Amino acid sequence: MKIAFKLAYRNLIGAGLRTWLNVIVLSFSFVVIIWLKGLMVGWDHQAKNDMSQWQIGQGQYWHNSYEPYDPFALNDSHAPIPDMFEEQIKAGEMVPMLYAQGSIYPEGRMKSIKISGIPADQTLLKIPSASLDTVVEAIPAIVGASMAHSSHLEKGSRFVMRWRDSKGTFDAAEVEIVDVFSTTVAQIDMGQVWIPLDVMQQKLLMPGEASVFSFGEISEKPAQLENFKLKSFSELTAEVDEMIKMKSSGQSVFYIILILLAMLAIFDTQVLSIFRRQKEIGTYVALGYTRREVVGLFTIEGAMHAVLAAVVAAIYGVPFFIWQAKSGFTLPMDTSEFGMTIAPTMYPVYSMGLIVSTVLIVFLTTLVVSYWPSRRIAKMNPTEALRGKIQ
Amino acid sequence: MGNNHFTALKDVNLTFGKGEFAGLVGPSGSGKTTLLNIIGSLDTPSEGTAVVLGQSISKLNPRQAAKLRKENLGFIFQSYNLLAVHTVFENVEFPLLLLKYSASERKKMVMDALEWVGLTDKVKSKPPQLSGGECQRVAIARAMVKKPTLVLADEPTANLDAANSHKILQTMEKLNNELKTSFVFATHDEKVIKYLKRKIFLLDGKVDHEEWANNKN
Repeated sequence: MKIAFKLAYRNLIGAGLRTWLNVIVLSFSFVVIIWLKGLMVGWDHQAKNDMSQWQIGQGQYWHNSYEPYDPFALNDSHAPIPDMFEEQIKAGEMVPMLYAQGSIYPEGRMKSIKISGIPADQTLLKIPSASLDTVVEAIPAIVGASMAHSSHLEKGSRFVMRWRDSKGTFDAAEVEIVDVFSTTVAQIDMGQVWIPLDVMQQKLLMPGEASVFSFGEISEKPAQLENFKLKSFSELTAEVDEMIKMKSSGQSVFYIILILLAMLAIFDTQVLSIFRRQKEIGTYVALGYTRREVVGLFTIEGAMHAVLAAVVAAIYGVPFFIWQAKSGFTLPMDTSEFGMTIAPTMYPVYSMGLIVSTVLIVFLTTLVVSYWPSRRIAKMNPTEALRGKIQ
Repeated sequence: MGNNHFTALKDVNLTFGKGEFAGLVGPSGSGKTTLLNIIGSLDTPSEGTAVVLGQSISKLNPRQAAKLRKENLGFIFQSYNLLAVHTVFENVEFPLLLLKYSASERKKMVMDALEWVGLTDKVKSKPPQLSGGECQRVAIARAMVKKPTLVLADEPTANLDAANSHKILQTMEKLNNELKTSFVFATHDEKVIKYLKRKIFLLDGKVDHEEWANNKN
């Protein structure tokens, strides 16, 4: 076996440009696949990290009726803040939020929104709620950059906001945007207006009530309270996993095309080799190889493309990966209205498992593609091969 | 296709002794190469038996046949059949790699073999950089490096000019004398025939007659 590796290496290096062309194509597959997969992992990390920092902390408690994708359920999703949460809220380990359906009338147009109330003094989440502690004539409000963009709002914009209180009475008041924040978490940006929690509780006649609680590192987390249920971090980020899984499946087609291109080059080389190197094959047999051993030699030779490609990929790929991990990849389009947690610049994350699995997949595919045409050697007549007469 | 059947050899009954310098002589299609391939266990007779170094060729499985070739036989081909991407040293080293000699042993044996054929200054050259005569000398070194019991040479001078042919044949004759290696040639080249100690004339797949250099019939 050692001899076969030695010979295969010599043959490959001796083949010169043909080998290096195959190796470069294959190494390109390695680098692109690892980079794209790294980007997906990076996106996963970034999305979860941003969701944690901006929206969900380490987990949430949801009102039993709360369903984020059902706006009609919003008005029933509120209940008094449980006593056991009071201490954690005071300690800054938990943030109560109150949600209600409403509408705004910027520039005379009506727009349905979700009114979100958040304590101005919270520091657990990155939402710049401190801005809500501004004294203005209207209700102070903050919105995300996407919301501001789609509704033509900016800092200082004033408009009427309408809601229905807990008694079912419609009410309205003027709102002033005191800050516009930029976030990658669409769920706290798109179609939402954030106002101070106490103001919202007062206006909606829901004193001391909340819909959702985000918490940080807390020790006691009962799964179910009277009106609220626990949503763990993994439950809340399952959507991100699903979305990335779906994107990854789509990317798999791209990986397959890339690998197919590289494999086509290797398959072609193998088929050509077997026809062009008949005399060499006959010589190996004459010198003491069995035909099966020659099949093995050609298979190793083909598969060694993957080994050389891995080395070449490492030479230019590692600096590229490091540069990308530091500088990130900026999407050439506006991501703010994608409706999902995606940063304009994504930073790939490479794990050992990712690299090893990619190398293994490419190596095994190369091995199969190298073996497939080489099987023909086992049926060759060595005397005819020696004369190069096999068609 | 179909039922086409060609008899390359018929009623051939020959025995070769140790240290012979013999040749199968005849025109194209007389069966010389077929007989050489059978002796070399690259082919098997459809009828009859061929016993090489005590082993019946027909009864050998591919692994055993490969072992016989690897350990006891050396081949020299008309078109040299050198491995083009390997250096002279690597080409000659190849049979020793298969026999699993250590690196130091291989180096010594390869250099000895190249000295026999006068090519020690070409160790790093590759076949495309060599002349036809040099290529064939490398092929001889490759065949001889493991000091085989029998060397089979198929038209070894067919691609060489007269001067190179004589040089090659003198080398082989010297090795035959010094190492007592048996040589069996397949040839129709007069230059080769002159060197043979035993000439077996084949015609249409049959042994026509034999001649011995010392008038032994």
